[in-house]
Amino acid sequence: MSQTTNDRSELFLRFSQRKLATLLVIVVGVGAVGLALMLTPTGSVWRAVSRVSLVPVAVAIVLIVQMTLRGRRWNPDSPEVRMAAEDEWRRTNMERASRLALIVVLLAQWPLALILGFTQIPAPRGAMAMAMATITLGLSTQIALFLKFDRE
Amino acid sequence: MGDERLQNTIKVQRAMRDLTQADLAALAGVTRRSVNAIETGRMVPSVLLALKIARALGVSVETIFALHPRTDP
Repeated sequence: MSQTTNDRSELFLRFSQRKLATLLVIVVGVGAVGLALMLTPTGSVWRAVSRVSLVPVAVAIVLIVQMTLRGRRWNPDSPEVRMAAEDEWRRTNMERASRLALIVVLLAQWPLALILGFTQIPAPRGAMAMAMATITLGLSTQIALFLKFDRE
Repeated sequence: MGDERLQNTIKVQRAMRDLTQADLAALAGVTRRSVNAIETGRMVPSVLLALKIARALGVSVETIFALHPRTDP
């Protein structure tokens, strides 16, 4: 394994962190909008979302992710990408983040149910809101913790 | 088992061979972050990784890794 491969692997790790940070912002944003739609289906969020076409939003998200790569293309079979993907430190951090995110999600169920119970929305929408909040919380916690652990 | 901790001599072995963490990472086929995490004691490596590092440094695993009694309270 050459020094150049290691340098490129380091570069890939930095880009991967940027990509994950972008993903975190997207997950939190989509989760917040989704939750707002579940809680106030006829409110201002719904009116704003219904006016916006999803195509430009999807294009913007793809562009943001591409910008984090700064025009680079990474071959998934290249040595530097495989080295980074199989990196033990990253895998350990991801496992730690997953474990903690699961605990956070489990602990959050009761308070979430209580909060959504007070909103007095119909049960099917309440269940959807609960699912949306759980998924958003779980994913965002996992990504945020991984980014924190993966810092040097 | 809880009263012992893994200590390593990677830094010393590197210094003896005038290798940087990046050099050792390249020799062992892992990222520099893994080497750094193991060297600073933040990560206990798998047997496979320990063997790779030992092979890269040209010494036995026992020369690099050893169990020591935990001193902190």
